[in-house]
Amino acid sequence: MEPTDDAEKFFQQLGGQDREPLLAKVRGWVRFELLEPDRTDRWLVAVDRGAIAVSHSDGPAECTARLDRALFVQLCRGEGNMIAALLRGAVVCIGDVELLFAIARLFPAFAPERQPQRL
Amino acid sequence: MSDSQVKILDGNTFVVSGESGDIEASYNDPGGLFSYDTRFLSTWVLTVNGERLTPLSVDDMQYFETRFFLVPGTGTVYSDARLSVIRQRSLRNGFHEDLTIANYDRNPAVLTIRLEAGSDFADLFEVKDALQKRGSYSARAGDGRLVFAYRRESLSRSTEIRSSQPCAVDEHGLTFEITIEPHGTWKAGLDVNAAVLETSEEDEAEGPTLASQVRQQPKDMADDLARWLAEAPRLQSDWDPLEIIYRRSLIDLAALRFSPVGAGRGSFPAAGLPWFMAMFGRDSILTSLQVLPFKPELARTTLRELGRWQGLRVEDFREEEPGRILHELRYGEMTAFEERPHSPYYGSADATPLFVVLLDEYERWTGDSGLVRELEPEARAALNWIDEYADRQGNGYISYQRRNEETGLENQCWKDSWDSISYRDGTLPGFPRATCELQGYAYDAKMRGARLARLFWGDEAFAQTLERQAADLKRRFNEDFWIEDGEYFAIALDADGRKVDSLTSNIGHLLWSGIVNDDKARPIARHLISERLFSGWGVRTLAKGEGRYNPVGYHVGTIWPFDNSFIAWGLRRYAFTDEAAQIAAGIMEAAAFYTGRLPEAFGGFPRLMTKYPVEYPTACSPQAWSTGAPLLLLRTALGLEPTGNHLLVDPALPNIVGHLELLDIPGRWGRIDAYARGRVEVPPPITSIGHASDRPH
Repeated sequence: MEPTDDAEKFFQQLGGQDREPLLAKVRGWVRFELLEPDRTDRWLVAVDRGAIAVSHSDGPAECTARLDRALFVQLCRGEGNMIAALLRGAVVCIGDVELLFAIARLFPAFAPERQPQRL
Repeated sequence: MSDSQVKILDGNTFVVSGESGDIEASYNDPGGLFSYDTRFLSTWVLTVNGERLTPLSVDDMQYFETRFFLVPGTGTVYSDARLSVIRQRSLRNGFHEDLTIANYDRNPAVLTIRLEAGSDFADLFEVKDALQKRGSYSARAGDGRLVFAYRRESLSRSTEIRSSQPCAVDEHGLTFEITIEPHGTWKAGLDVNAAVLETSEEDEAEGPTLASQVRQQPKDMADDLARWLAEAPRLQSDWDPLEIIYRRSLIDLAALRFSPVGAGRGSFPAAGLPWFMAMFGRDSILTSLQVLPFKPELARTTLRELGRWQGLRVEDFREEEPGRILHELRYGEMTAFEERPHSPYYGSADATPLFVVLLDEYERWTGDSGLVRELEPEARAALNWIDEYADRQGNGYISYQRRNEETGLENQCWKDSWDSISYRDGTLPGFPRATCELQGYAYDAKMRGARLARLFWGDEAFAQTLERQAADLKRRFNEDFWIEDGEYFAIALDADGRKVDSLTSNIGHLLWSGIVNDDKARPIARHLISERLFSGWGVRTLAKGEGRYNPVGYHVGTIWPFDNSFIAWGLRRYAFTDEAAQIAAGIMEAAAFYTGRLPEAFGGFPRLMTKYPVEYPTACSPQAWSTGAPLLLLRTALGLEPTGNHLLVDPALPNIVGHLELLDIPGRWGRIDAYARGRVEVPPPITSIGHASDRPH
């Protein structure tokens, strides 16, 4: 299925890869709640030492990140910084913030200069 | 900062006030209650019947607790000695202040007690640079509490003040109308709650929000400090100041521990009070190195945290690059709105190689090979950064030039002031600048990285590559940086590859890193204790006689205790034991003048001229790497060196100390004791702790 925007593209790509080396030391469930004017789009990202499963499941999460979908799309494109957004309250984080810090390292997801060099 | 400022702190929450306990911050005054890089109280002034109070004494009970003994009146008029006021404040669990007023008169005292309060919610960067705020303020008084709030878009801050006693609350403070009976006392407790972010009740019901995690966790700070001291090696010496210096260092190190939200349970050293209570790559690493024989667990958290934030991509604003270790991480409003790049900022040319140096040194002491394996990807990425990103001129040397032209740092080495790198005639080189100590750190990182690759990562080929690169770097460095007519290494190569030829303390760091050829080590050691560099107290940042030399110039003549501690380590590495002991003696004697707490820097005046070390006027104190300096000097004086599973002890103790025992030194060997006698002749001591108590501190 074609992604409708960069937010969807991000989650599809994340779920589609075998392993994300940047999350090799991370274990936990993170829920993203992307707020839209008339609905909330929920994504559950399960990370198990680099292995990632993405779903719309309502299952429990150790960390919930709540933010406007428009902001999430900006973060995906590198037009903003997740940590700064968190510090100014534009991202509400409930639960284990370490998990969100870990996932924040994946942004910007589509910037051409991203070079996750882990030799 | 002036001497009269009293500070208490817990992590990145701290209070800076005058000697009466009052806070009256102006736009660029560092006074106030700060937390997470934000000022939550900028006004906190106590009056009795409209009169300010005069301090009789201040009791610094603990780093998190202070007591002010006061009387009404301003000192120039007659003080009403029938009333005494005690303000006792602590940061045990948020900011708490107990007011106690005693009436020693035979008549009842009818009093109006007023506490003026206010908050400007300034970001530390705004305090430093005197900038204006963009959000809106509000104040709400009622229900026995006063709440100040600040909002800018989604960012909110609030300060809530509550009293345990009934009082009238208005938008500028609290008023108590009281009568104290003859020989009676009156008490009130005041709580100040700082909230970094606002969250809704629904959010709070779901789980711990960031705002709630930022709130201080209650803990028994006195117990925690007692345990911290009990677990450290025990020191005994017949030179009394040494025990005082040692204890002061351990306590200040405890105070500077920092355990921010998201850092798990561990803590690492923040850089210093008041401006630098934050994670700094360079400062946290160098302090962790200094204190390894005493508190190795700080290195572990430092490595883990810095590894976690390691750069991944090329980004100009934050100067991020793959493998780069951060310079500074901040939480304030300007960072939140990306008006400053500290989320985190990566503009440091030395933190990345030093990260590898610390990882190796940590393993040598602790035998914690698990961490070396865990951080293999980070260490490899750091080593890769040295070759792929730090060599900005393509000449095989680390150099720096900021990519963030607006808010980035010009000098990305430890001497980071504008005029710190100069030619003999005082002119300043352009950018990029390849300062010499960076090349030493790179050499050391490669050599140590090779050891880690060989022993723990099972990668002999990588180990050999690193050793080959290191040998080549050393060979080139000893040719390209050497100044023949002066017999020392240039402080830097400029953009044209020309030597920046002033004589500086940086040459001592080169010994520490091991990049100096053996035949060049003797002239370097000679320079370090020459009259041009060595004042009698320590090695100056810039030698007397250079164009920009100024004994009270920040990086152009002052003496930095941390700098000297690494120089002493370097001298020992090349077996210049007497020279190392001489520097240790000078710095330790200076520490005695400061009742055990070394400032960030002190004046480079000759010791014979001033008789005591002249404090640099705005020096930051306590500062982590100054706190660590006496500990590293103890290591070098005792000649402590891990060798396999053993700890080698090879003392070269200055004779100002007759006898020294350091018991229960932790490490891969369990616990070991070291004993030494002071046999190295140094000029006789001209000071004692007794002198220091006559001076304000």
